[in-house]
Amino acid sequence: MDDAGVFAALADPTRWRVLSLLAERGDGTATTLAGELPVSRVAVIKHLAVLDRAGLVESRRRGREVLYTVRPERLDATARWMAGLASEWDARLAAIKRMAEAE
Amino acid sequence: MAPDQIERETTIAAPVERVWTLLTEAEHIGTWFGDAGAEIDLRPGGALVLRWAEHGTVHGEVVAVEPPRRFAYRWAASTAQGDAELVAGNSTLVEFTLAAEHDGTRLRVVESGFAGLDVPEAERASKVEGNTEGWAQELGHLRDHAERVTA
Repeated sequence: MDDAGVFAALADPTRWRVLSLLAERGDGTATTLAGELPVSRVAVIKHLAVLDRAGLVESRRRGREVLYTVRPERLDATARWMAGLASEWDARLAAIKRMAEAE
Repeated sequence: MAPDQIERETTIAAPVERVWTLLTEAEHIGTWFGDAGAEIDLRPGGALVLRWAEHGTVHGEVVAVEPPRRFAYRWAASTAQGDAELVAGNSTLVEFTLAAEHDGTRLRVVESGFAGLDVPEAERASKVEGNTEGWAQELGHLRDHAERVTA
């Protein structure tokens, strides 16, 4: 159910923006991210915790702050999973098409 | 913003009624979908059972039957391995729409609800807005971007 966890983590629009900002900037702290978003630092910390549990970001201490970076592997796995589901549908639709056009 | 659905479609050189029959009758579903037979109680709330020789049985529930335009069901297939019982939070919604086009049928399938799947960290109140680009593409873009900046 890891992929589902990724979807749940990304389903919140603010969280999606937090992750997008991290991807654009390379890294960020709750303070720098809150400076670019219309939400509080506390709210950003909560969103980062959800992204962390979903395996989408990793963190390390830098002085008194925690620095976050994106973990691309998790997104890559989920993107591949979705592409796999889409190609399964393509195969099923192609089978229906063959059957429908056979007679 | 990230959508949580898959959309695919195809054009079929056969009448809508014929495509409807293939989509909704157990005898046919067991051919194009599962490979070891299928059962369907074709009414809203009716049970759907799909069988694969190697992957076991997947359960679903019919959601909408509007012949010959719309057929929808929930199923637990996308996240389950082997035998899977349908329970709230482990299923996605699959919706087929059929439209007459020229002499044939445009068949569209949308599978949605991945974000609503019940996982420990899931926040069920989350809402996802529709987006035709699809998750895979969105995630792929973000992944590419992340790899560039972290390389």
